[in-house]
Amino acid sequence: MSSASTKSEYLLLFRNTDCLATLSAEEIKKVMVEWVAWSDRLIAEGRAKANRALGRTGKIVSGKDRNITDGPFAEAKEAVAGYFLVEVADLDEALAIARECPTLSCGATVEVRPMPKECPAHQLAAATLREIDGFFGRQSVPESSAVGAVSTI
Amino acid sequence: MNNASEKSDYLLLFRGADWHRGLSPDEIQKTMTVWMGWFNRLVEEGRCKGGQSLGPDSKVVSGKMKNVVDGPYAEAKESVAGYFLLTVGSLEEATEIAKECPTLGYGTTVEVRPLLARCAASEMAATKPATVHA
Repeated sequence: MSSASTKSEYLLLFRNTDCLATLSAEEIKKVMVEWVAWSDRLIAEGRAKANRALGRTGKIVSGKDRNITDGPFAEAKEAVAGYFLVEVADLDEALAIARECPTLSCGATVEVRPMPKECPAHQLAAATLREIDGFFGRQSVPESSAVGAVSTI
Repeated sequence: MNNASEKSDYLLLFRGADWHRGLSPDEIQKTMTVWMGWFNRLVEEGRCKGGQSLGPDSKVVSGKMKNVVDGPYAEAKESVAGYFLLTVGSLEEATEIAKECPTLGYGTTVEVRPLLARCAASEMAATKPATVHA
């Protein structure tokens, strides 16, 4: 996925960006100018690869019966409001970027999550089997598996 | 960004990373195969532009003092475990896809959220003053 193999991807999840509404119009403008400059710089530096905001509404699907309720999942203050996909050297660099977020001062939070390089299914399968090994106290590597990565464990 | 102008981007946020607990290795393997088949089909259909699982190690930054604490943000059951980026015709279509998630019966929850067409900053800049004046 990444051309620079030494770099890793991290997802920055923003919450409570609506905290801006508590500021004066002048302060909002100032923070927004900072936000745009911050975002543009990260993209120009090649450290941010995507930058999206989520709409406030949505749906939640859960349970065996596939119940659908109106979202988002958490209350407004704790709902994911947007994300940056960054490509940097390590967690510390991702964290340093997160700490530059201009809306931190009014109450926003930034969650920094690593993104494993393997595809989600492979990653999940690998983690699962390792846990199973520990849980059952044995090696449980299926001989015939549709999940190719499993055989490398 | 989109070739088909009537399509929009939606994010599926998966929660409940420990769906496999209580399942046998065979059941887990079978479920994983179904997951991969589901993901691959959505990609082939051009309805899914990407997907990723998120590692459990994380940090949360908050406050004026930019405090850093070990994450993730929510407890394990409610933490975001992965996502799909969909390009589909409507929220209903995205929700129908969410309903196909193979681990819904094992505690996974799928949050379906529209992605705004503009970048976060311009969207916020456009909406905030109205919010304030209201």
